[in-house]
Amino acid sequence: MKRESTTDALGLHERASATPEHAPANREARVGSAPGWASGELSLRSHQEWFLAVIMTPEHEPAPVDSTSAGRLVTPSSTLSSLARLEIYRRSYQARLIECLADDYPVLQATLGEETFEGLCRAYIDKHPSTEPSLNRFGRHMADFCRNHPFSEPDFAADLAALEWAVVLAIHAPTAPPLTAQDLARIPIESWPEIRLVPNPSLGVHAFDYPVNAYLSARRRGEAPALPVARHCSVAVYRTEQSVWRLELTPPMATLVESLSRGETLGGSLSLVAAQLDGVPEAEAAQNVTTWFSHAVSSGLFSGIRS
Amino acid sequence: MNRFGLADLGIGLGLRTVHYAHILEQRPAVDWFEIISENYLETSGRPLDFLDAIAEHYPIVMHGVSLSIGSTDPLNREYLRQLRELRDRVKARWVSDHLCWTGVASRNSHDLLPMPYTEEALAHVVSRMKQAQDFLGAPIALENPSTYAELSGASMPEWEFLARLAELADCAILLDVNNVYVSAHNHGFDPALYLDAMPFDRVVQLHVAGHTDHGTHIIDSHIGPVVEPVWELLALAHRRAAGVPILLEWDAEIPAFEVVHREALRARELIGEAL
Repeated sequence: MKRESTTDALGLHERASATPEHAPANREARVGSAPGWASGELSLRSHQEWFLAVIMTPEHEPAPVDSTSAGRLVTPSSTLSSLARLEIYRRSYQARLIECLADDYPVLQATLGEETFEGLCRAYIDKHPSTEPSLNRFGRHMADFCRNHPFSEPDFAADLAALEWAVVLAIHAPTAPPLTAQDLARIPIESWPEIRLVPNPSLGVHAFDYPVNAYLSARRRGEAPALPVARHCSVAVYRTEQSVWRLELTPPMATLVESLSRGETLGGSLSLVAAQLDGVPEAEAAQNVTTWFSHAVSSGLFSGIRS
Repeated sequence: MNRFGLADLGIGLGLRTVHYAHILEQRPAVDWFEIISENYLETSGRPLDFLDAIAEHYPIVMHGVSLSIGSTDPLNREYLRQLRELRDRVKARWVSDHLCWTGVASRNSHDLLPMPYTEEALAHVVSRMKQAQDFLGAPIALENPSTYAELSGASMPEWEFLARLAELADCAILLDVNNVYVSAHNHGFDPALYLDAMPFDRVVQLHVAGHTDHGTHIIDSHIGPVVEPVWELLALAHRRAAGVPILLEWDAEIPAFEVVHREALRARELIGEAL
Protein backbone atom coordinates (compact mmCIF):
# COMPACT_ATOMS: atom_id res chain seq x y z
CA MET A 1 0.00 0.00 0.00
CA LYS A 2 1.82 3.00 -1.28
CA ARG A 3 1.05 6.33 0.27
CA GLU A 4 1.42 9.31 -2.00
CA SER A 5 1.49 12.98 -1.20
CA THR A 6 -0.35 15.39 -3.44
CA THR A 7 1.07 18.51 -1.83
CA ASP A 8 3.65 19.57 -4.37
CA ALA A 9 1.44 19.12 -7.36
CA LEU A 10 -1.59 20.69 -5.82
CA GLY A 11 -2.51 23.87 -7.62
CA LEU A 12 -4.87 25.36 -5.10
CA HIS A 13 -4.84 29.03 -5.95
CA GLU A 14 -6.44 31.87 -4.13
CA ARG A 15 -9.29 34.03 -5.29
CA ALA A 16 -8.48 37.68 -5.80
CA SER A 17 -10.08 41.02 -6.45
CA ALA A 18 -8.52 41.22 -9.92
CA THR A 19 -10.53 40.83 -13.11
CA PRO A 20 -9.41 37.67 -14.90
CA GLU A 21 -7.92 38.14 -18.32
CA HIS A 22 -9.94 36.73 -21.18
CA ALA A 23 -10.26 37.26 -24.89
CA PRO A 24 -10.93 40.91 -25.81
CA ALA A 25 -14.59 41.55 -25.44
CA ASN A 26 -14.99 44.34 -27.95
CA ARG A 27 -17.35 42.32 -30.08
CA GLU A 28 -21.06 42.77 -30.06
CA ALA A 29 -22.92 40.47 -27.73
CA ARG A 30 -25.39 38.25 -29.50
CA VAL A 31 -28.71 39.93 -29.27
CA GLY A 32 -31.73 38.42 -27.58
CA SER A 33 -35.14 39.84 -26.93
CA ALA A 34 -35.60 42.72 -24.52
CA PRO A 35 -37.00 41.70 -21.15
CA GLY A 36 -40.38 43.09 -20.28
CA TRP A 37 -39.08 44.80 -17.16
CA ALA A 38 -36.48 46.79 -19.09
CA SER A 39 -38.90 49.62 -19.53
CA GLY A 40 -40.02 52.41 -17.25
CA GLU A 41 -38.17 53.63 -14.14
CA LEU A 42 -35.85 50.99 -12.66
CA SER A 43 -35.31 50.57 -8.96
CA LEU A 44 -31.88 49.60 -7.62
CA ARG A 45 -33.23 46.09 -7.16
CA SER A 46 -34.40 45.88 -10.76
CA HIS A 47 -31.07 47.23 -11.97
CA GLN A 48 -29.28 44.48 -10.13
CA GLU A 49 -31.61 41.67 -11.16
CA TRP A 50 -31.27 42.75 -14.75
CA PHE A 51 -27.49 43.12 -14.64
CA LEU A 52 -26.99 39.75 -12.99
CA ALA A 53 -29.34 38.01 -15.42
CA VAL A 54 -27.27 39.36 -18.30
CA ILE A 55 -23.86 38.37 -17.00
CA MET A 56 -24.99 34.94 -15.79
CA THR A 57 -26.44 34.01 -19.16
CA PRO A 58 -24.20 31.27 -20.61
CA GLU A 59 -22.04 32.44 -23.48
CA HIS A 60 -23.64 30.06 -25.97
CA GLU A 61 -26.99 31.71 -25.38
CA PRO A 62 -27.95 35.14 -26.65
CA ALA A 63 -27.61 37.95 -24.13
CA PRO A 64 -31.04 38.54 -22.64
CA VAL A 65 -31.13 42.16 -23.78
CA ASP A 66 -31.09 43.90 -27.12
CA SER A 67 -29.04 46.98 -27.82
CA THR A 68 -31.93 49.33 -27.05
CA SER A 69 -32.47 47.85 -23.61
CA ALA A 70 -28.75 47.71 -22.92
CA GLY A 71 -28.41 51.37 -23.92
CA ARG A 72 -31.09 52.37 -21.48
CA LEU A 73 -29.28 50.75 -18.60
CA VAL A 74 -25.56 51.03 -19.40
CA THR A 75 -24.06 54.03 -21.15
CA PRO A 76 -21.75 53.36 -24.09
CA SER A 77 -18.16 54.61 -23.96
CA SER A 78 -16.34 56.30 -26.81
CA THR A 79 -14.93 52.91 -27.81
CA LEU A 80 -17.43 50.29 -26.66
CA SER A 81 -21.17 49.86 -27.10
CA SER A 82 -23.39 49.25 -24.10
CA LEU A 83 -23.63 45.57 -25.01
CA ALA A 84 -19.87 45.22 -25.41
CA ARG A 85 -19.36 46.72 -21.95
CA LEU A 86 -21.80 44.25 -20.47
CA GLU A 87 -20.05 41.47 -22.32
CA ILE A 88 -16.83 42.22 -20.36
CA TYR A 89 -18.66 41.37 -17.16
CA ARG A 90 -20.33 38.31 -18.67
CA ARG A 91 -17.02 36.87 -19.82
CA SER A 92 -15.27 37.74 -16.54
CA TYR A 93 -17.99 35.97 -14.59
CA GLN A 94 -17.43 32.76 -16.51
CA ALA A 95 -13.63 33.09 -16.61
CA ARG A 96 -13.27 33.55 -12.85
CA LEU A 97 -15.36 30.52 -12.01
CA ILE A 98 -13.71 28.35 -14.65
CA GLU A 99 -10.33 29.29 -13.11
CA CYS A 100 -11.66 28.23 -9.74
CA LEU A 101 -12.82 24.83 -11.04
CA ALA A 102 -9.51 24.33 -12.85
CA ASP A 103 -7.73 24.92 -9.52
CA ASP A 104 -9.83 22.22 -7.88
CA TYR A 105 -9.78 19.74 -10.79
CA PRO A 106 -6.40 19.98 -12.55
CA VAL A 107 -6.23 16.30 -13.51
CA LEU A 108 -9.81 16.23 -14.73
CA GLN A 109 -8.93 19.25 -16.85
CA ALA A 110 -5.81 17.58 -18.26
CA THR A 111 -7.76 14.41 -18.96
CA LEU A 112 -10.67 16.04 -20.75
CA GLY A 113 -8.62 18.65 -22.57
CA GLU A 114 -9.13 22.41 -22.39
CA GLU A 115 -12.15 22.65 -24.66
CA THR A 116 -14.19 19.82 -23.14
CA PHE A 117 -13.30 20.89 -19.61
CA GLU A 118 -14.32 24.46 -20.33
CA GLY A 119 -17.62 23.28 -21.77
CA LEU A 120 -18.17 21.14 -18.69
CA CYS A 121 -17.42 24.11 -16.44
CA ARG A 122 -19.77 26.44 -18.29
CA ALA A 123 -22.58 23.92 -17.94
CA TYR A 124 -21.67 23.43 -14.26
CA ILE A 125 -21.66 27.17 -13.57
CA ASP A 126 -25.08 27.48 -15.17
CA LYS A 127 -26.48 24.59 -13.14
CA HIS A 128 -24.77 25.39 -9.83
CA PRO A 129 -24.26 29.15 -9.53
CA SER A 130 -22.37 30.21 -6.43
CA THR A 131 -24.49 31.21 -3.47
CA GLU A 132 -21.73 31.66 -0.90
CA PRO A 133 -19.23 34.44 -0.13
CA SER A 134 -16.27 32.07 -0.49
CA LEU A 135 -15.46 29.92 -3.52
CA ASN A 136 -13.82 27.25 -1.40
CA ARG A 137 -16.84 24.93 -1.73
CA PHE A 138 -17.99 26.02 -5.18
CA GLY A 139 -16.78 22.87 -6.95
CA ARG A 140 -18.42 20.40 -4.59
CA HIS A 141 -21.06 19.14 -7.05
CA MET A 142 -18.63 18.27 -9.83
CA ALA A 143 -18.55 14.47 -9.41
CA ASP A 144 -22.33 14.14 -9.57
CA PHE A 145 -22.43 16.64 -12.38
CA CYS A 146 -19.90 14.64 -14.43
CA ARG A 147 -21.92 11.47 -14.01
CA ASN A 148 -24.82 13.06 -15.85
CA HIS A 149 -22.82 15.06 -18.38
CA PRO A 150 -22.96 13.94 -22.02
CA PHE A 151 -19.34 13.00 -22.64
CA SER A 152 -17.77 9.67 -23.46
CA GLU A 153 -16.65 8.39 -20.04
CA PRO A 154 -18.92 10.06 -17.50
CA ASP A 155 -18.45 7.45 -14.78
CA PHE A 156 -14.66 7.60 -14.98
CA ALA A 157 -14.75 11.41 -14.99
CA ALA A 158 -17.07 11.35 -11.98
CA ASP A 159 -14.71 9.08 -10.04
CA LEU A 160 -11.73 11.24 -10.93
CA ALA A 161 -13.58 14.39 -9.88
CA ALA A 162 -14.61 12.73 -6.62
CA LEU A 163 -10.97 11.90 -5.85
CA GLU A 164 -9.81 15.43 -6.63
CA TRP A 165 -12.60 16.86 -4.48
CA ALA A 166 -11.56 14.53 -1.66
CA VAL A 167 -8.14 16.20 -1.80
CA VAL A 168 -9.77 19.63 -1.55
CA LEU A 169 -11.80 18.48 1.45
CA ALA A 170 -8.67 17.18 3.16
CA ILE A 171 -6.96 20.54 2.64
CA HIS A 172 -9.79 22.40 4.33
CA ALA A 173 -10.38 19.93 7.16
CA PRO A 174 -9.02 20.72 10.62
CA THR A 175 -5.44 19.81 11.42
CA ALA A 176 -4.76 17.31 14.20
CA PRO A 177 -1.57 15.60 15.38
CA PRO A 178 -1.55 11.90 14.48
CA LEU A 179 -1.93 9.02 16.92
CA THR A 180 1.45 7.36 17.48
CA ALA A 181 2.61 3.90 18.44
CA GLN A 182 3.79 5.45 21.72
CA ASP A 183 0.24 6.62 22.44
CA LEU A 184 -1.01 3.07 21.93
CA ALA A 185 1.79 1.60 24.02
CA ARG A 186 0.44 3.48 27.03
CA ILE A 187 -2.80 1.46 26.86
CA PRO A 188 -2.65 -1.84 28.81
CA ILE A 189 -2.66 -4.66 26.29
CA GLU A 190 -5.73 -6.25 27.87
CA SER A 191 -7.69 -3.06 27.16
CA TRP A 192 -6.89 -2.98 23.46
CA PRO A 193 -9.96 -4.89 22.25
CA GLU A 194 -12.23 -2.26 23.83
CA ILE A 195 -10.48 0.90 22.68
CA ARG A 196 -12.04 3.13 20.05
CA LEU A 197 -9.92 5.42 17.89
CA VAL A 198 -10.50 9.00 16.83
CA PRO A 199 -10.10 9.29 13.06
CA ASN A 200 -7.90 12.03 11.65
CA PRO A 201 -10.47 14.84 11.10
CA SER A 202 -9.43 15.11 7.47
CA LEU A 203 -9.83 11.39 6.75
CA GLY A 204 -12.22 10.25 4.07
CA VAL A 205 -12.40 6.69 2.77
CA HIS A 206 -13.67 6.71 -0.79
CA ALA A 207 -14.76 3.80 -2.98
CA PHE A 208 -14.40 4.09 -6.75
CA ASP A 209 -15.48 1.96 -9.71
CA TYR A 210 -12.30 2.92 -11.59
CA PRO A 211 -8.64 2.83 -10.45
CA VAL A 212 -8.51 6.61 -10.35
CA ASN A 213 -5.83 6.81 -7.68
CA ALA A 214 -3.23 5.11 -9.87
CA TYR A 215 -4.41 7.19 -12.80
CA LEU A 216 -4.09 10.44 -10.85
CA SER A 217 -0.61 9.48 -9.67
CA ALA A 218 0.49 8.80 -13.24
CA ARG A 219 -0.85 12.18 -14.33
CA ARG A 220 0.98 13.88 -11.48
CA ARG A 221 4.19 12.26 -12.71
CA GLY A 222 3.58 13.93 -16.05
CA GLU A 223 2.45 10.79 -17.84
CA ALA A 224 -0.59 10.59 -20.12
CA PRO A 225 -2.03 7.16 -19.33
CA ALA A 226 -4.88 5.62 -21.28
CA LEU A 227 -8.24 5.72 -19.56
CA PRO A 228 -8.34 2.59 -17.38
CA VAL A 229 -11.01 -0.10 -17.49
CA ALA A 230 -13.33 -0.33 -14.53
CA ARG A 231 -11.83 -1.89 -11.39
CA HIS A 232 -12.94 -1.23 -7.84
CA CYS A 233 -10.57 0.67 -5.58
CA SER A 234 -10.75 2.24 -2.13
CA VAL A 235 -8.62 5.24 -1.23
CA ALA A 236 -8.07 6.96 2.09
CA VAL A 237 -7.49 10.69 1.55
CA TYR A 238 -6.28 12.70 4.52
CA ARG A 239 -3.82 15.32 5.65
CA THR A 240 -0.98 15.34 8.17
CA GLU A 241 0.38 18.84 8.80
CA GLN A 242 0.62 20.40 5.32
CA SER A 243 0.75 17.20 3.28
CA VAL A 244 -2.32 15.59 1.75
CA TRP A 245 -2.02 11.85 1.32
CA ARG A 246 -3.76 9.30 -0.86
CA LEU A 247 -3.47 5.76 0.49
CA GLU A 248 -4.94 2.98 -1.62
CA LEU A 249 -6.55 0.35 0.60
CA THR A 250 -7.02 -3.36 0.06
CA PRO A 251 -10.61 -4.54 0.75
CA PRO A 252 -9.80 -5.88 4.26
CA MET A 253 -7.89 -2.75 5.16
CA ALA A 254 -10.73 -0.59 3.87
CA THR A 255 -13.07 -2.57 6.13
CA LEU A 256 -10.73 -2.05 9.08
CA VAL A 257 -10.32 1.70 8.54
CA GLU A 258 -14.01 2.28 7.89
CA SER A 259 -15.02 0.30 10.95
CA LEU A 260 -12.58 2.13 13.23
CA SER A 261 -13.61 5.46 11.73
CA ARG A 262 -17.24 4.68 12.57
CA GLY A 263 -16.20 4.36 16.19
CA GLU A 264 -16.31 0.57 16.46
CA THR A 265 -13.98 -1.00 19.01
CA LEU A 266 -10.60 -2.27 17.88
CA GLY A 267 -11.58 -5.83 18.79
CA GLY A 268 -14.85 -5.61 16.87
CA SER A 269 -13.14 -4.07 13.86
CA LEU A 270 -10.42 -6.72 13.77
CA SER A 271 -13.03 -9.47 13.99
CA LEU A 272 -14.87 -7.92 11.08
CA VAL A 273 -11.70 -8.03 9.01
CA ALA A 274 -10.81 -11.55 10.12
CA ALA A 275 -14.19 -12.74 8.92
CA GLN A 276 -13.24 -11.56 5.44
CA LEU A 277 -10.09 -13.68 5.44
CA ASP A 278 -11.91 -16.91 4.87
CA GLY A 279 -9.48 -19.72 4.08
CA VAL A 280 -6.41 -17.89 5.34
CA PRO A 281 -4.66 -19.79 8.15
CA GLU A 282 -5.44 -18.25 11.51
CA ALA A 283 -1.85 -17.30 12.38
CA GLU A 284 -1.32 -15.66 9.00
CA ALA A 285 -4.64 -13.81 9.25
CA ALA A 286 -3.71 -12.51 12.70
CA GLN A 287 -0.35 -11.39 11.40
CA ASN A 288 -1.95 -9.62 8.43
CA VAL A 289 -4.50 -7.83 10.56
CA THR A 290 -1.82 -6.65 12.97
CA THR A 291 0.31 -5.39 10.13
CA TRP A 292 -2.59 -3.52 8.56
CA PHE A 293 -3.52 -1.93 11.84
CA SER A 294 0.07 -0.81 12.45
CA HIS A 295 0.23 0.56 8.96
CA ALA A 296 -3.02 2.50 9.39
CA VAL A 297 -1.72 4.03 12.61
CA SER A 298 1.76 4.85 11.31
CA SER A 299 0.26 6.43 8.20
CA GLY A 300 -1.56 9.00 10.31
CA LEU A 301 -5.14 7.85 9.67
CA PHE A 302 -6.03 8.32 13.34
CA SER A 303 -5.45 11.14 15.72
CA GLY A 304 -6.27 9.76 19.14
CA ILE A 305 -7.95 7.27 21.42
CA ARG A 306 -11.48 7.97 22.60
CA SER A 307 -11.62 8.48 26.32
CA MET B 1 -2.58 60.36 10.39
CA ASN B 2 -6.13 59.53 9.28
CA ARG B 3 -9.10 60.39 11.47
CA PHE B 4 -9.53 56.75 12.52
CA GLY B 5 -6.06 56.50 14.04
CA LEU B 6 -5.18 53.50 11.85
CA ALA B 7 -1.44 53.05 11.69
CA ASP B 8 0.87 53.66 8.77
CA LEU B 9 2.05 50.08 8.33
CA GLY B 10 4.49 50.95 5.55
CA ILE B 11 4.66 49.09 2.25
CA GLY B 12 2.87 45.77 2.10
CA LEU B 13 2.14 42.93 -0.29
CA GLY B 14 -0.91 40.88 -1.08
CA LEU B 15 -0.37 37.45 0.51
CA ARG B 16 -0.48 34.74 -2.18
CA THR B 17 -0.24 30.97 -1.73
CA VAL B 18 2.69 30.61 -4.13
CA HIS B 19 4.76 32.69 -1.70
CA TYR B 20 3.79 30.93 1.55
CA ALA B 21 6.88 28.73 1.68
CA HIS B 22 9.28 31.58 0.88
CA ILE B 23 7.74 33.82 3.52
CA LEU B 24 7.86 31.18 6.23
CA GLU B 25 11.36 30.01 5.40
CA GLN B 26 13.04 33.32 4.58
CA ARG B 27 11.05 35.79 6.69
CA PRO B 28 11.55 38.60 4.18
CA ALA B 29 11.56 42.16 5.49
CA VAL B 30 8.04 43.06 4.38
CA ASP B 31 6.17 45.63 6.46
CA TRP B 32 2.79 43.87 6.31
CA PHE B 33 0.55 41.53 4.32
CA GLU B 34 -2.98 41.91 3.06
CA ILE B 35 -5.11 38.78 2.69
CA ILE B 36 -8.19 38.14 0.59
CA SER B 37 -10.56 37.39 3.45
CA GLU B 38 -12.69 34.86 1.57
CA ASN B 39 -9.72 32.56 0.95
CA TYR B 40 -9.72 31.86 4.68
CA LEU B 41 -13.46 31.38 5.15
CA GLU B 42 -15.23 28.02 4.84
CA THR B 43 -12.02 26.31 5.83
CA SER B 44 -10.61 24.87 9.02
CA GLY B 45 -7.41 23.55 7.55
CA ARG B 46 -4.26 24.30 5.70
CA PRO B 47 -4.99 27.88 4.56
CA LEU B 48 -5.57 28.89 8.17
CA ASP B 49 -2.48 27.03 9.36
CA PHE B 50 -0.33 29.04 6.95
CA LEU B 51 -2.08 32.27 7.80
CA ASP B 52 -1.65 31.74 11.53
CA ALA B 53 2.06 31.10 11.04
CA ILE B 54 2.50 34.24 8.92
CA ALA B 55 0.38 36.38 11.25
CA GLU B 56 2.78 35.55 14.07
CA HIS B 57 5.45 37.57 12.32
CA TYR B 58 3.69 40.20 10.20
CA PRO B 59 0.79 42.62 10.60
CA ILE B 60 -2.24 41.46 8.62
CA VAL B 61 -4.98 43.50 6.96
CA MET B 62 -8.13 41.81 5.63
CA HIS B 63 -9.38 42.72 2.17
CA GLY B 64 -12.71 41.21 1.18
CA VAL B 65 -14.51 40.64 -2.10
CA SER B 66 -17.93 39.44 -0.94
CA LEU B 67 -19.31 42.05 1.45
CA SER B 68 -21.53 43.11 -1.45
CA ILE B 69 -22.35 46.34 0.32
CA GLY B 70 -24.39 47.66 -2.59
CA SER B 71 -26.57 44.59 -3.03
CA THR B 72 -30.30 44.79 -2.43
CA ASP B 73 -30.22 41.38 -0.75
CA PRO B 74 -30.16 41.47 3.05
CA LEU B 75 -26.70 41.86 4.59
CA ASN B 76 -25.18 38.44 5.12
CA ARG B 77 -24.71 38.38 8.88
CA GLU B 78 -23.19 34.94 8.89
CA TYR B 79 -20.51 36.22 6.54
CA LEU B 80 -19.94 39.23 8.80
CA ARG B 81 -19.67 36.90 11.78
CA GLN B 82 -17.03 34.86 9.97
CA LEU B 83 -15.15 38.05 9.06
CA ARG B 84 -15.18 39.18 12.66
CA GLU B 85 -13.95 35.78 13.83
CA LEU B 86 -11.11 35.77 11.30
CA ARG B 87 -10.18 39.36 12.16
CA ASP B 88 -9.94 38.49 15.82
CA ARG B 89 -8.02 35.30 15.10
CA VAL B 90 -5.24 36.96 13.10
CA LYS B 91 -5.50 40.34 14.87
CA ALA B 92 -6.10 42.06 11.55
CA ARG B 93 -5.48 45.80 11.76
CA TRP B 94 -8.59 46.61 9.75
CA VAL B 95 -11.08 45.16 7.28
CA SER B 96 -11.74 46.48 3.80
CA ASP B 97 -13.95 45.65 0.83
CA HIS B 98 -15.24 47.35 -2.31
CA LEU B 99 -17.82 49.91 -3.32
CA CYS B 100 -19.81 47.46 -5.40
CA TRP B 101 -22.28 44.62 -5.25
CA THR B 102 -21.46 41.02 -6.13
CA GLY B 103 -24.86 39.39 -6.44
CA VAL B 104 -28.55 39.44 -5.77
CA ALA B 105 -31.30 36.88 -5.11
CA SER B 106 -28.76 34.83 -3.11
CA ARG B 107 -26.49 34.37 -6.11
CA ASN B 108 -22.88 35.50 -5.96
CA SER B 109 -21.10 36.43 -9.19
CA HIS B 110 -17.79 36.88 -7.32
CA ASP B 111 -17.28 39.93 -9.48
CA LEU B 112 -17.17 43.54 -8.31
CA LEU B 113 -20.22 44.87 -10.13
CA PRO B 114 -20.84 48.58 -10.69
CA MET B 115 -23.32 50.62 -8.71
CA PRO B 116 -25.66 53.16 -10.23
CA TYR B 117 -24.48 56.43 -8.66
CA THR B 118 -27.90 57.69 -7.62
CA GLU B 119 -29.32 59.17 -4.43
CA GLU B 120 -31.30 55.93 -3.89
CA ALA B 121 -28.15 53.83 -4.11
CA LEU B 122 -26.24 56.22 -1.84
CA ALA B 123 -28.87 56.04 0.90
CA HIS B 124 -28.94 52.25 0.55
CA VAL B 125 -25.17 51.81 0.86
CA VAL B 126 -24.88 54.31 3.73
CA SER B 127 -27.45 52.39 5.71
CA ARG B 128 -25.76 49.06 5.10
CA MET B 129 -22.29 50.38 5.85
CA LYS B 130 -23.50 51.60 9.22
CA GLN B 131 -24.96 48.16 9.96
CA ALA B 132 -21.82 46.34 8.85
CA GLN B 133 -19.53 48.61 10.87
CA ASP B 134 -21.76 48.27 13.92
CA PHE B 135 -21.54 44.50 13.54
CA LEU B 136 -17.76 44.52 13.30
CA GLY B 137 -17.42 47.24 15.90
CA ALA B 138 -14.88 49.07 13.77
CA PRO B 139 -14.71 51.22 10.66
CA ILE B 140 -14.56 49.40 7.34
CA ALA B 141 -12.48 50.80 4.48
CA LEU B 142 -14.27 50.78 1.13
CA GLU B 143 -12.23 50.63 -2.04
CA ASN B 144 -13.09 52.35 -5.30
CA PRO B 145 -13.49 49.55 -7.87
CA SER B 146 -12.29 49.30 -11.45
CA THR B 147 -15.38 49.44 -13.63
CA TYR B 148 -16.04 48.61 -17.25
CA ALA B 149 -19.61 49.90 -17.46
CA GLU B 150 -21.38 52.97 -16.16
CA LEU B 151 -25.01 52.50 -15.29
CA SER B 152 -27.46 54.96 -16.76
CA GLY B 153 -29.31 57.39 -14.56
CA ALA B 154 -26.31 58.43 -12.45
CA SER B 155 -26.83 61.74 -10.73
CA MET B 156 -23.21 62.13 -9.58
CA PRO B 157 -19.75 60.84 -10.49
CA GLU B 158 -18.22 57.95 -8.59
CA TRP B 159 -15.79 60.14 -6.65
CA GLU B 160 -18.64 62.26 -5.30
CA PHE B 161 -20.62 59.13 -4.41
CA LEU B 162 -17.65 57.66 -2.54
CA ALA B 163 -16.82 60.91 -0.72
CA ARG B 164 -20.42 61.45 0.39
CA LEU B 165 -20.77 57.80 1.39
CA ALA B 166 -17.64 57.99 3.55
CA GLU B 167 -18.92 61.12 5.25
CA LEU B 168 -22.48 59.88 5.82
CA ALA B 169 -21.54 56.37 6.94
CA ASP B 170 -18.40 57.55 8.75
CA CYS B 171 -16.37 54.88 7.01
CA ALA B 172 -12.80 54.76 5.78
CA ILE B 173 -11.55 54.69 2.20
CA LEU B 174 -9.07 52.36 0.58
CA LEU B 175 -7.99 54.38 -2.45
CA ASP B 176 -6.81 52.18 -5.32
CA VAL B 177 -4.96 54.48 -7.69
CA ASN B 178 -4.74 51.80 -10.36
CA ASN B 179 -8.53 51.51 -10.26
CA VAL B 180 -8.79 55.28 -10.59
CA TYR B 181 -6.56 55.08 -13.65
CA VAL B 182 -8.45 52.12 -15.16
CA SER B 183 -11.89 53.65 -14.66
CA ALA B 184 -10.68 57.05 -15.87
CA HIS B 185 -9.53 55.43 -19.09
CA ASN B 186 -12.66 53.31 -19.48
CA HIS B 187 -15.07 56.17 -18.82
CA GLY B 188 -13.09 59.12 -20.09
CA PHE B 189 -12.55 61.27 -17.02
CA ASP B 190 -9.47 62.98 -15.60
CA PRO B 191 -8.02 60.92 -12.71
CA ALA B 192 -6.93 64.15 -11.02
CA LEU B 193 -10.60 65.01 -10.55
CA TYR B 194 -11.04 61.80 -8.58
CA LEU B 195 -8.14 62.56 -6.28
CA ASP B 196 -9.26 66.16 -5.83
CA ALA B 197 -12.59 64.92 -4.46
CA MET B 198 -11.17 62.47 -1.94
CA PRO B 199 -11.49 63.29 1.77
CA PHE B 200 -7.90 62.25 2.49
CA ASP B 201 -8.37 62.24 6.23
CA ARG B 202 -10.54 59.15 5.61
CA VAL B 203 -8.06 57.38 3.32
CA VAL B 204 -6.40 54.68 5.41
CA GLN B 205 -4.68 52.68 2.68
CA LEU B 206 -3.53 52.95 -0.93
CA HIS B 207 -3.53 50.15 -3.49
CA VAL B 208 -1.39 49.94 -6.55
CA ALA B 209 -1.30 47.22 -9.22
CA GLY B 210 -0.65 46.37 -12.83
CA HIS B 211 -3.35 46.21 -15.50
CA THR B 212 -3.89 45.14 -19.09
CA ASP B 213 -4.61 47.68 -21.80
CA HIS B 214 -6.80 46.31 -24.59
CA GLY B 215 -6.93 49.59 -26.45
CA THR B 216 -10.69 49.97 -26.25
CA HIS B 217 -10.64 49.43 -22.52
CA ILE B 218 -8.33 48.52 -19.65
CA ILE B 219 -8.80 45.41 -17.48
CA ASP B 220 -7.75 45.51 -13.83
CA SER B 221 -5.86 42.24 -14.14
CA HIS B 222 -3.28 42.79 -11.35
CA ILE B 223 -0.71 41.45 -13.74
CA GLY B 224 2.81 42.64 -14.39
CA PRO B 225 4.57 45.75 -13.14
CA VAL B 226 2.83 49.03 -12.36
CA VAL B 227 2.85 51.57 -15.20
CA GLU B 228 4.41 54.99 -14.67
CA PRO B 229 1.18 57.04 -14.78
CA VAL B 230 -0.17 54.90 -11.94
CA TRP B 231 3.00 55.41 -9.90
CA GLU B 232 2.54 59.15 -10.45
CA LEU B 233 -1.03 58.93 -9.16
CA LEU B 234 0.26 57.02 -6.15
CA ALA B 235 2.81 59.70 -5.37
CA LEU B 236 0.13 62.37 -5.68
CA ALA B 237 -2.28 60.48 -3.41
CA HIS B 238 0.44 59.73 -0.88
CA ARG B 239 1.39 63.39 -0.67
CA ARG B 240 -2.20 64.27 0.17
CA ALA B 241 -2.71 61.45 2.63
CA ALA B 242 0.46 61.70 4.65
CA GLY B 243 1.40 58.57 6.52
CA VAL B 244 -0.85 56.16 4.66
CA PRO B 245 0.25 52.55 4.05
CA ILE B 246 0.69 51.29 0.50
CA LEU B 247 -0.01 47.84 -0.85
CA LEU B 248 0.93 46.20 -4.16
CA GLU B 249 -1.47 43.62 -5.63
CA TRP B 250 -0.12 41.05 -8.10
CA ASP B 251 -2.62 38.26 -8.85
CA ALA B 252 -1.91 36.76 -12.25
CA GLU B 253 1.27 35.19 -13.58
CA ILE B 254 2.73 35.81 -10.15
CA PRO B 255 6.53 35.88 -10.27
CA ALA B 256 9.04 35.00 -7.55
CA PHE B 257 8.52 36.73 -4.24
CA GLU B 258 11.60 38.92 -4.67
CA VAL B 259 10.26 40.30 -7.95
CA VAL B 260 6.93 41.27 -6.39
CA HIS B 261 8.67 42.73 -3.34
CA ARG B 262 11.08 44.73 -5.47
CA GLU B 263 8.17 46.18 -7.43
CA ALA B 264 6.40 47.19 -4.23
CA LEU B 265 9.53 48.86 -2.91
CA ARG B 266 9.53 51.16 -5.93
CA ALA B 267 6.84 52.99 -4.00
CA ARG B 268 9.39 53.88 -1.34
CA GLU B 269 11.75 55.46 -3.85
CA LEU B 270 8.88 57.26 -5.48
CA ILE B 271 7.46 58.61 -2.28
CA GLY B 272 10.91 59.72 -1.21
CA GLU B 273 11.26 61.63 -4.45
CA ALA B 274 7.79 63.05 -4.19
CA LEU B 275 8.42 64.29 -0.72
